[in-house]
Amino acid sequence: MSTVFENPIGAADNPVQPGIARSGHVLRITAALRFLWATLLVAVPIFLGATLITFLLGHASGLDPAAGIAGDAASPEVVARIRAQFGLDRPVIVQYIAWMAGIARGDFGTSWFNGVPVLLLITQRLPVSLSIAGAALLIGATVGTLLGIAAAVWRGRLIDRAVTGFASVASALPPFVVAIVLILVLSLWLNLLPSAGYIPFSDDPAGWLRVIAIPAMALSVEVIADLARQLRTGLVAALSENYVTGAIVRGLSPRRILFVHVLRNGAGPALSILSVRIPMLIGASVVTETIFTMPGIGKMAADSALRGDVPVVEGTLVVSIVIVLLCSILVNALIAVLQPASRRRG
Amino acid sequence: MKTGFLRGRSASVALAIVIAVAILAAFGRWLAPQDPIAQNPYAMLQGPSAAHWLGTDAFGRDVLSRLLAGASSSVLASVFSVVIGLVFGVVPGMVSVFLDRRIEWLSLRFIDALMTLPFLVFAIAMTAMLGNGLIQAMFAVGILITPAFYRVSRAATLSVVNSDYIEAARLMGASTTSLIRRHVVRKVLPPVAVAIASMMGACLSIVASLTFLGIGVMPPNPTWGGVLATDLTTLYERPLGPLAPGLLIVATVWALNALADALRDADACPQKVRK
Amino acid sequence: MNQPATILTFPTRGARPVTPLEDPTALLTVGDLGIAGGGGRELVRGVSFSVPKGGTLGIVGESGSGKSLTCRAILGLLPDGLKVRSGAIRYGEQDLVGLSPPGWRALRGIHLAAVFQDPGSYLNPSISVGAQLVEALRATLKLDRVAAEDRAITLLKRVGLAEAEAVYRKYPFELSGGMAQRVLIAIAVSANPQLLIADEATTALDAMVQAEVLNLLDDLRREQGLTLILVSHDLAVVSKVCDQVVVMRAGSIVEAGPARTVLSDPAHDYTRSLIDSHHRYSIDDGDLTSRPTAAAAEPQRVPALLKIDSLHASYRRSSHPSSSVLHGIDIELDKGEILGLIGETGSGKTTILRSILGLVTPHSGTISFRGKEISGLRGRALRALRLSSDIQYVHQDPLRSLDPDLPIGASIAEGLDIKGELSRHERAERVVVTLEAVGLDPAFAARRPRDLSGGQRQRAVIARALILDPAILLLDEPVSALDAVSRTHVLDLMRDLARDRGIAQIFISHDLGSIAGIADRVAVLYQGRIVESRPTRELIDQPAHPYTRRLLDSVLRLEDDRPADGRLALPTN
Repeated sequence: MSTVFENPIGAADNPVQPGIARSGHVLRITAALRFLWATLLVAVPIFLGATLITFLLGHASGLDPAAGIAGDAASPEVVARIRAQFGLDRPVIVQYIAWMAGIARGDFGTSWFNGVPVLLLITQRLPVSLSIAGAALLIGATVGTLLGIAAAVWRGRLIDRAVTGFASVASALPPFVVAIVLILVLSLWLNLLPSAGYIPFSDDPAGWLRVIAIPAMALSVEVIADLARQLRTGLVAALSENYVTGAIVRGLSPRRILFVHVLRNGAGPALSILSVRIPMLIGASVVTETIFTMPGIGKMAADSALRGDVPVVEGTLVVSIVIVLLCSILVNALIAVLQPASRRRG
Repeated sequence: MKTGFLRGRSASVALAIVIAVAILAAFGRWLAPQDPIAQNPYAMLQGPSAAHWLGTDAFGRDVLSRLLAGASSSVLASVFSVVIGLVFGVVPGMVSVFLDRRIEWLSLRFIDALMTLPFLVFAIAMTAMLGNGLIQAMFAVGILITPAFYRVSRAATLSVVNSDYIEAARLMGASTTSLIRRHVVRKVLPPVAVAIASMMGACLSIVASLTFLGIGVMPPNPTWGGVLATDLTTLYERPLGPLAPGLLIVATVWALNALADALRDADACPQKVRK
Repeated sequence: MNQPATILTFPTRGARPVTPLEDPTALLTVGDLGIAGGGGRELVRGVSFSVPKGGTLGIVGESGSGKSLTCRAILGLLPDGLKVRSGAIRYGEQDLVGLSPPGWRALRGIHLAAVFQDPGSYLNPSISVGAQLVEALRATLKLDRVAAEDRAITLLKRVGLAEAEAVYRKYPFELSGGMAQRVLIAIAVSANPQLLIADEATTALDAMVQAEVLNLLDDLRREQGLTLILVSHDLAVVSKVCDQVVVMRAGSIVEAGPARTVLSDPAHDYTRSLIDSHHRYSIDDGDLTSRPTAAAAEPQRVPALLKIDSLHASYRRSSHPSSSVLHGIDIELDKGEILGLIGETGSGKTTILRSILGLVTPHSGTISFRGKEISGLRGRALRALRLSSDIQYVHQDPLRSLDPDLPIGASIAEGLDIKGELSRHERAERVVVTLEAVGLDPAFAARRPRDLSGGQRQRAVIARALILDPAILLLDEPVSALDAVSRTHVLDLMRDLARDRGIAQIFISHDLGSIAGIADRVAVLYQGRIVESRPTRELIDQPAHPYTRRLLDSVLRLEDDRPADGRLALPTN
């Protein structure tokens, strides 16, 4: 036999693999760095794009602080002077860059309505919105996951149909409808929970829990419905895959198969839907803050928009964008960790 | 294949509801027994009666008439938003697959940017800052749902474009445009139809939320969300007030979603493939 | 291993078999098994056999014969909607039909094990293969983590994986088919089971890898006293490894007995037809000597129809762990000539075809058709070449290369549609003519791809190429996914096209048997180079290159006697 073929058994089917000799640790760190770089490469343009759209909205509105400061009867010269004072006469791109530079420094501008720094206004109200949105996410994720798993494991049976039916109806319920119903039942009728006002956590943890309960529940309904449905679909698909058969044949316990193998691969669509839901959740906070009269950033943004107070609106939007991007990066990282196959470059 | 989807009972019910609402939207104004904006200070906050089937609101206006008339504003607003989303989303989504890599990447990032915006807050901001009318609201919502249509049509196109039969056609000399005409369009239509149905539902829900918050409402014109909002302020006197508009909104949104599901199941009709 | 020939307690001539449930030496007995599907449809009927401890049983049949279902029933893995309707399955003393889940968990992995076709898909794609092996070990042997990890590495080495530690860390998608199957075998035998079922375990693998895996199974069987049930549609595989064989068709057993007897002198007509199909296109086809080789026919050759000169190209497939690279390929193809291209996965066979078609741009070298250079063409020139329809490509998977929503007739006529030459009426006529030419009923034109069988789909795809009257057909593994009967039909068709219409063909396969059956010349590709290219008969009788010799050795033949020591006659390196 020629020496060319003195390969060990199995070499015939070993394709040439680059980097096969590197140790596990090095490989994992470089993979993580590569992932981080790829994420940044995508996140930064998105951030820039979203903030640009936000800024252009303000610019297109044609609103300026002149009316608030100088009154309705101001002459054109006064208006022009005020605009120049605020730098509104410069080209759009310059304004945008100046605004972004300010944000990088932490300067979000000041409200045209009451002169308070926008960042201060936001930081005062952010905990309120985050509490509710965070609680809604928590409730939604937990309940949605449980329901989704139950529906998939017992598919075809009563619980599956119940969950699917519930999801179907629940996605048709706008948050404000749910909020109203919950107020009617839990607040007016059963008198269990308050229907208005906000108590900070630092003041009274129990009271805080009571005030955010209904709004969080109201917001969580859509999350539950989406998550339950997507998780069910993903898990049912994963359950029909060959590797489940392989795991069964190896004698693994059903619980292990479900939680270690199926959940890991079937959760993909559900996680993706989660990252889409988060911006909607933050947006929907307007509704709950209005109904329950909570001093959150959503309500502030809405009121400011109606007042024409552009800096506040823009500042709020930027903060939301950042929050959404962070959550989105987290979800993507989670998917990449759970499913390395998705990292594979085509 | 498309006719089979009506077999499900919920799909039939959903279709019936959608058709009923469509009729209401088209003819509601004329079907209303009374003038929806006529106030009657002598008949405020009454319960259901022979004259007012659903009672009256705080201004003495007939609730039934308001809801019937409001159907057109709410529904048409949703339709308009969906049309905008369709126009700006479907074709660019399809085309993006064939573009130069860098332009494709940029357009994808732009769509991602749109999706990062907090939906309702941005819609409110856009509507309020551009004039606070229903038209502005429709436009705002339409722009914000464009990414959904873009992604759906792009995903459908991608799945087709990477297939072997497209490669086979290309190897026989087909041009890109003839490929799109011959194969892609047929594959993109069903998912887009599903998206239309579900986005209609979503838009209706959003428009209801907007009008509930008083955005995009031109009083005294009635909208379903607006009626619900006023009902909220008079909750103590008429605790069952929110029932009618609430049910209308929920039923219509549910029907649209159910329709979308039925379309999706019909499209994916999996048939056993012989070996 | 040398068992006395087991007395299978049932007649082999098609009469209703007696259930052999009382045989004390049997490890597994199946008695009058009946499996029914949705609507009461009978899928398996009256299946009975027994396997003695340490024996090997082969189950052969075409797809749809029920062989895989029977195995699934033995393992308790029948898909939803299918049930064992009658009969019994017994493992030792234990009844398997209607066994409870805890009962199954006590058996699976520990007593019963299985490996299947498409091994990579039976592993969780998100977890490294080593971790999955460890998981199985901890579940069955209750080892602690360190002990399990050690044993896992040992097992991986035992199944012949060269760099066990590296493979341990890999994910399933990073492994080739052969490596993945070895991993699955390692998992399957990790707890020293009594019975191993291999369901088409080597079907999708290259010939040499197949030989190695079968060797491995045989070694393990002797080392651990495994009882083996091998399911395959490939008679040669079964004849190599198994003592006893059972032939199934349409859900029932048609013949059974010692492998040597059944496969050399079958009693039943169906078995005979299977053997004939196997022989029809195989290396031992006596027909080869009677076909004139191209060189003998014309001393003064007309210029080659297609000429590839010193081609260097590379192509990276998204689904494959590595890229394939071509180094200096030279090929010539004459009118009416069939060239067979053989090589292992990743050796570059498809890259050559894709280079000819302009889907891959070569680094250097030229490809000429009828004297004119066609390599490196782009844009309008490339499209013009394609519109001329002289060179047509038949994809590997006909299911994926036909638009599922279009009726077959429309797909076949697509080429004409693109050229826009004929009227609709004329196109329809041509479709009918072409369907008949490939041996399909013209009524098929209205059907969808999913309504056709694999063989029919393959012929439809050939029709799509044929309707354009090409000079050259490039076929990528046209018969690899087909069972023996369909295979002969398609290969016959290809041979007729070359002989009657002078259509030259380049035909890729990893199965030397099919190639040898119809190719005039064979080119052997190894790691991107053509190591040998000669007329078929010469190549088979006197292979020059060591790799060719290895390839020929690993082809399993039906007539070989089992050697006295019981070891399979396969290359051991």
